[in-house]
Order: sequence, then structure tokens, then C-alpha cells
Amino acid sequence: MARIVVPGEAVSEKPAKMAYTYSDGKKTYATIISMLTDENKLIPLQGPYEPLKDDIIVGYVNDVRFAGYSIALGAPNSAFLASRNTRSTFELGNIVMARIESVDEVGTIDISEAKVLENGRIERISPVKVPRLIGKKNSMISMIADASQCKIVVGRNGFIFITNDGDGALANEAIDIVEAQAHTPGLTDRMADFLSKKCGREIKPRPQENMMEMPRSPPQRREGGYGSRPPRREHGRRKY
Amino acid sequence: MAEKPKLIKDDGKRLDGRELDELRPVAIKARVLNNADGSALVIWGKNKIVAGVYGPRECIPRHDQSPYRAVVRCRYNMAPFCSLEEHGRSGPSRRSQELSKVISEAFQNVIIAENFPKTAIDVYIDVLQSDGGTRCAALTAAAVAIADAGIPCKDLICAVAAGKIEGKIVLDLSKDEDNYGQSDNPIAFASRNDDILLYQMDGLLTREEAAEAVEMARVAAKKVHELQKKALQESFEKSGRIIFPIDEKPQKVQ
Repeated sequence: MARIVVPGEAVSEKPAKMAYTYSDGKKTYATIISMLTDENKLIPLQGPYEPLKDDIIVGYVNDVRFAGYSIALGAPNSAFLASRNTRSTFELGNIVMARIESVDEVGTIDISEAKVLENGRIERISPVKVPRLIGKKNSMISMIADASQCKIVVGRNGFIFITNDGDGALANEAIDIVEAQAHTPGLTDRMADFLSKKCGREIKPRPQENMMEMPRSPPQRREGGYGSRPPRREHGRRKY
Repeated sequence: MAEKPKLIKDDGKRLDGRELDELRPVAIKARVLNNADGSALVIWGKNKIVAGVYGPRECIPRHDQSPYRAVVRCRYNMAPFCSLEEHGRSGPSRRSQELSKVISEAFQNVIIAENFPKTAIDVYIDVLQSDGGTRCAALTAAAVAIADAGIPCKDLICAVAAGKIEGKIVLDLSKDEDNYGQSDNPIAFASRNDDILLYQMDGLLTREEAAEAVEMARVAAKKVHELQKKALQESFEKSGRIIFPIDEKPQKVQ
């Protein structure tokens, strides 16, 4: 039986290396409110966005500077899109999706492969609920997109872009349900029923590849503080 | 000043009918606010306390920020209408500044702030109604709110006061017992290993009495910790984001 654990609660009687835990040398304790599954894995129920390399994010331009653009992610630090990493120009308030190129030890986020998302809006959910919203092989998000006839882009940071065409209210409602019930079993089937009833036609989960990035594994904290951080990106000669 | 009431009645019970080592009724609810990242409500006897947590978020002013860790900032505030005596206009006073400082320092011990350099974690605690022991109730509320926000912590803090009235060591002093008693000791524990994270002493205790008070508070803190845990678990077991009503009925603590 999966159970909810709170910070400081023992999750293992011996020292173990798990995400979202720490050990005092005797036992292992949770650091965050999370669900302890039968496979002895912690799934966080709440928490801030911790940026990782190669995450796909959605954000909006909140500053235009000489060397590039500052992109708000809803995380404590804004991301920076250097002009040399993009061919397009952006305006203040543009919604963009991009890939995180690097995150350094003080939380500076560099992004690239940015693309403007037009004719839509941003919705926010808790970043830890993003894997559930995407579902196994995109099964959940493709279902919501199919039912609402909106194009939806889910950023790992918890920002969701929804286009203005289609039934945006239904998409919002569905996303709210996923966020509220992310920790409950059988959500995909319930969502299929809900969407089918709302649309008056059958909506089924259809797993599909390549719609978006797959859910990633939780962030692994490095051992031993700052001395063991990987070296910063080298500013060497560019290879052609 | 009113005349000193008899704090321990002839039948050995206290003014409000409690035993010497009995807590007031306590109710804890997590996630009571919609817009904060994490929140909690604690009703502890006649105390009513709401805590809201934001963060980690951008640290402003920037000279406060650290490249090594998130700064943890608490703001304890008493509402102007919270007690019989006037607390004047709302805002920082000498007393609330001290409490904000000691509460921040208690949480700096348990929050894993190294994960979030150059950010701030803001904990806002508001006392809506007070009846003695608000700093313990405030710490308890803030701990639940921080856990509810999903901020990585090594531990869940819970705090209980113990003190001395009429020569006897008692648990969880109310306002009258605090005002007319001999000593009041708010003590905060890390629930995992019973580390003491805050200990203040108002009035004097001998070494033996202090040890007895700590032991009494430690036992009670375990009970409060169970309530904290239950509140956090309850906020997730129901479907949907629930905004709990503020008139929660406190339960007697067993």
C-alpha cells in the first residue's frame, strides 16, 4: 500500500540512496511530502521546480537585454536565452518553449532552441504534477488535447501553453482535475470517462510517442556539496 | 493589575480544568489558503494562527541573497484584534521582531536551503487570536505550512511550552498561567531525533525543574507531531484542493 510520508519520516531502516531523501548513516528519511510506493520509490506531492539540463520548458519573455532575453519560468530564477543561441527575435510578453542547455551551481539557467508559441495562453500547475499530466507515453495529455481540440504544450516547469482555438475551458477543467487527483490511482480511466461525457463522443487514452518529452526520472542530488560539482561549460574555440 | 487568581485549584487541576501535564485542545489543518505555496491553520486552545509560505522565490532585496543557500525569512505578526490588551496597529514591534528572528533560526536548522541558491523562502505567520503560547503554536503552524509547500526539510518542527506555576511544573501554559505563574519555557523539537531547536526561558527554573519541563514538553511534542502528520496526510487524501473552513473544532489531545 502506498502511503504519504512527511519530512523527517523514516522511509528505510538502512542508509539508502534515493531521490528526495537523506540519511544520517543509520536510516533514510524523506525530505519532502511525498508518496512512498510499494516499490519503495518516493513521488513528491508538492515542491518547487528544479531545473535540469534538456528539460523542455514553457515561459514568457520578461526582459529584453542587449545579449539576449530573460524568460520567466515560475521558478525562483529566470532563464536566459542568449542572442547567439537563437536566430529569431522576441518581444516582451512572447510565450516561448525552449530546451534547457545548462544550469549552473547558483541556479543560472541558459536555454536554447526557443520557439514562440502564438495565439494561446499560459496555465500553471505544480511542477511535480507534470509527469502525471503527460502520462505514460503522453496518454493523458493527448486525451485532453483530443477532447478539447486545443494544442497543448506542457513545460517541465509547470507552465502549460493552451491555444485559443478549441474548448479551452474543458482543457482547464481537465488539467485542474489532474492536478488535484494526481496522487490517486485509476486517474486515466476516470479522465477518459469524464472527457467522453463532456464531449459526447468516446475519448480513449492513445499512447503516442514523439508528442512531447517523456517523463524524466527525479533529480539526483550530488554528494558532498560544491567541491564535487561538474566543471562549468567551457568557452573554448567553436568547432565547425 | 487584576488580582492574581489561584492557578491550581484545590482538586489539583488548573484554571481551565486541565491536568498538570495536559495540552489544550489542538486542531491543525494544512492547505487552508489558495494562493500561498503552502499554508496551515493551527487552533490551539484559544489561539488561532495562520501560516503561509512562499518560495523558494527570487530574493529581494538582493543584498540579502546568498550564492550558497536560500535565505529563510519568517515574519511573526499579531493582529491588532488578537488579544485583550491592545497590540496597537499591526506591524513589527520589539516582541514580534524577536519572535520572527528566533522562529527563522529554528527553521534554518531543518530546511535544506543549499538546494536553492540565491533565493528566499518567506514564512508569514499571523496570530488572529492569542491566549498564551503563540510562539509554540506559530512554529507548529509554520512547520506544517513549509512541508505543505514541498520545501525540502530534514524534519518537521513541533513546539510546546512547559513552565512553573505555584511551584509545580506544568505543560502548555495559557495566558493567565504565563502572566501570573513563575516561569514559561517555549521549547521546539525536531521530531525525528528530539533535538532542541528553540529554548527560551522566561522566569527562572532550577536545573532539575528545567530537565523535568523539557521531558514533559518532549512527550507532548510527540502528540502534536502526530497531529501535524495527520493534517498533512489529510490534505492529500481527499480529491481536489481543499480550502478548509477556519472554524475547525479542536480535539482534546490524548
